[in-house]
Amino acid sequence: MCRIAGIVNFNWSTEKNQQTVENMCNLLKHGGPDDGGIFTSQNGALVLGNRRLALVDLSQAGHQPMHYQNRFTITYNGELYNYLDLKNQLIQLGHQFSNHSDTEVILASFAEWNVHAFEKFNGMYAFALYDQSIEMLYVVRDAVGIKPLYYSVKDEQLVFASEVNALKNVDFNWTKNENWPVFLMAYGHIPEPYTTFKDVSTLHKGSFIKYDLKNRKHSIQSYDFFSFSQEINHSNNLNSLIRNQIEKAVQSQLVADAPVGVFLSGGIDSSILALLSDQYKKEGIQSLSIYFNENEYSEKKYQDLVMTKLKGEKHQFLLSKYDFENQLPQVLESIDLPSCDGINTWFISKHAKSLGVKAVLSGIGADELFGGYPSFQRMNLARKLSLTPDFLLNLFKKNTKKPFNRISYLGMEGIKGIYLFMRGHYNVHEIATYLEADERDIWNIINDNPMMGDIKQLPTQNQASWMEFNLYMQNQLLKDADVMSMAHGVEIRVPFLDKGLVKTMFSVNADNKFSGKMPKQLLIDSCKDILPEQVWNRPKMGFSFPFSNWMKNNSYLEDLMQDSNKNTKAYFNDFKKGNLHWSQMMSLMIMKTRNEA
Amino acid sequence: MKHKRILFLTLRIFSATGGIEKVCRILGKALFENTFSGNCSLEICSSHDSFNQAKENFYFTADCFNGFENKRFKFLNAAFCKGIKSDVVILSHINLLPIGWLIKLFSPKTKLLMLAHGIEVWSLPLGIKKKMLNACDEVLSVSQFTKDEMIKLHGDSAKKYSVLNNCLDPFLPILANQNDSKDLRSKYGFAPIDKILFTLTRMDATERYKGYDRVLQAMALLKNEFPNLKYIIGGSYDKIEKNKIDELIIELGLKDNVMITGFIPDEILKEYFLMSDVYVMPSYNEGFGIVFIEAMYFGLPVIAGNKDGSVDALLNGKLGTLIDSMDINALRNAIETIIKSSSKAKVDKDVLMANFGYEVYKEKINGILN
Repeated sequence: MCRIAGIVNFNWSTEKNQQTVENMCNLLKHGGPDDGGIFTSQNGALVLGNRRLALVDLSQAGHQPMHYQNRFTITYNGELYNYLDLKNQLIQLGHQFSNHSDTEVILASFAEWNVHAFEKFNGMYAFALYDQSIEMLYVVRDAVGIKPLYYSVKDEQLVFASEVNALKNVDFNWTKNENWPVFLMAYGHIPEPYTTFKDVSTLHKGSFIKYDLKNRKHSIQSYDFFSFSQEINHSNNLNSLIRNQIEKAVQSQLVADAPVGVFLSGGIDSSILALLSDQYKKEGIQSLSIYFNENEYSEKKYQDLVMTKLKGEKHQFLLSKYDFENQLPQVLESIDLPSCDGINTWFISKHAKSLGVKAVLSGIGADELFGGYPSFQRMNLARKLSLTPDFLLNLFKKNTKKPFNRISYLGMEGIKGIYLFMRGHYNVHEIATYLEADERDIWNIINDNPMMGDIKQLPTQNQASWMEFNLYMQNQLLKDADVMSMAHGVEIRVPFLDKGLVKTMFSVNADNKFSGKMPKQLLIDSCKDILPEQVWNRPKMGFSFPFSNWMKNNSYLEDLMQDSNKNTKAYFNDFKKGNLHWSQMMSLMIMKTRNEA
Repeated sequence: MKHKRILFLTLRIFSATGGIEKVCRILGKALFENTFSGNCSLEICSSHDSFNQAKENFYFTADCFNGFENKRFKFLNAAFCKGIKSDVVILSHINLLPIGWLIKLFSPKTKLLMLAHGIEVWSLPLGIKKKMLNACDEVLSVSQFTKDEMIKLHGDSAKKYSVLNNCLDPFLPILANQNDSKDLRSKYGFAPIDKILFTLTRMDATERYKGYDRVLQAMALLKNEFPNLKYIIGGSYDKIEKNKIDELIIELGLKDNVMITGFIPDEILKEYFLMSDVYVMPSYNEGFGIVFIEAMYFGLPVIAGNKDGSVDALLNGKLGTLIDSMDINALRNAIETIIKSSSKAKVDKDVLMANFGYEVYKEKINGILN
């Protein structure tokens, strides 16, 4: 895992291109503390930069940008979990390797299979690979969209980086995306492909930019994606099929030459990862957990239960109000694209860093694939409600109680309306009031950006899975996990998003996948032999974090909001009265710190 | 592209392997990739395919695909309901014109585009469809020939006719590290010294414009001089046509020189291209002929007719040899010239890709949609 940046610019001098990439790399240093380097093409128009967090082949042989056959050069961020399989195939085909890294396997794969290599990769990555013999640059993002990659093509010049923050200072005369506060308030994040700049986009998952330096043209092409189907059912011995896939994913993601741990929250997903990974490592797996003094939010007793079954080192960290107050400004500073969440990931990653753990497994993806969210039960109702005439839906727009205040979103076409009804933060009326804008304009901004089709043809619960996987997880969870962990130079690995497991889960018949009394029944049944019953058969916890209480009396927040406009103050008062969720307040804080309120 | 709901209506994309279906798959991919900008949404409705046929495809996610499995009423109903809410509707075939016309009637603001491939737009009188052409904002012909034929037959029925040449499938295998042609020849029973002509076409008694019969006649003229001249006719066939061609082969004394393969799966098609010396298909009613550009992609010199859409595929002769497809002697001479040259005549790959590469096609599509 690393951070990457690069530029293709024919208008600037070689020195300016190099300086630009070096500056970007310096801004990304937190995510790649171990090493750094840049590569410049012969004509000086192309410069690739890298900040390295060494996990596989820690020696200098893994230095990046890396070269192959005096023809290919790569700057790479990520992990390729099937690199040993590919390496064996490539050796059979006559390729020779000079180091043990997965980076060189990507280079050799490209040398052998060209762009068809990308679909063979199983992992999380974003990389730029230059073929100097034909002067072609490929900028590639993984199929699940775990690693982010932001880019801009302006007047034939291309610039890209792992974080938007790194692009900010590039001398490209960026245009601010005036809509981002609207997105943040509606979604709690900025949905792909948008960013805070009009001319910077997120590269779509499973796609690559092909930039031809000879004619200065580029195109974006898809190379992999997932489609739902119904072909696997119980007759395929589903439990053992899923169990095998999970085990395979966990095993492959434990491969590293640096310490790997697991985030153990005490829930089903992370407990499965902890229990399985502990079996595969001789000395067990290091587990890292956060707990709170506030018992109603703390999952400590479930963590303790799972920890008794682990042979590896156990680390539990108390996250107190005091820590939260002290570190909140730093948390906000670490955020790249505005987002209302990720606080807990920031803290647990900080502890991982202090322990010297460089990579940690996280349970992201299980809720989306196995049906862990309430949306899986509510989708049917939402579909029916969305048939209600708009004028009736709009009657609720001034209602202050969730979810009634979000009903009006159902007037938006297709899955977007349903997503915002279920997961939206502020409704159109609230956003318009806050931003002192016309409601119709706000409606149009949200309705038209991004354009989304509908997925009505899918079984209802697969619609929920599609929505959580492609919208919530993609735009919120994965971005937060990446940025907040890399703020400390720690890599988060997500075994439930292993390509093979995702493809399998997308192919399981929805009735089989989501049947059973409990949410995620299939996951539970697949791992029941190792998972303590108290973990999967426990009362629901209404709230996951005590942040609301902590933020109500937070001096930093008070100071921040002191010189706000009347709307911000009014919302802050609402929050203090308990009428706003802490994550809604986070959105306002971010706008405030970025001078948008 | 600015905020568009795009609906792509097709007859078939996956349940047949012809050129039109190939064009639909590639167009589907281009449209799907355009959605990455966040500025447009895409739905693809296919009248004949099933959803299951789409789920494993590499071109676009099946999440934007609806297959109606020949349920005509359901397809029409969905196409109409979705169409009137769309900003752009693209018809893959003239047989979808009635539904396009109906959509346009109820939603005049919807931009209606129709693909015109070849014989389907000029072989039969259009009848009522001719009037319906009026609803089309733009007819996208795969070649200048198709465009000219349409204008000749239907006048200015549509508001605008333009040319959108087909392109190479982006999933064609990359050519580095391919098997040696000697190995392939031995695999298929040919000798290293053989000179192999190749035609890939459906042999259909009702569609006899591809010219393989004339290639046989030209071979008869060459067989004494070139006893190692071989001819592979690949592709599915009907019995009537196969019998007729078998008789012709015997009559011309070419029994040992001709191989009729039947259907060739995509996975091994490249092997036929790679072991052949010349791709020859002197047709006279070709809309465009994707197979020509595919053959050239695999490095084969091409001989084609000069009176149809093949002219576009060969860039007016810049990429290959154009002959009067009815002139057996001209065909004979063209074959002779190529096989006499000591090495395979070079196809200019840069010119080929600059005109028929997928990226170029996508750029044109974006231009049309904007």
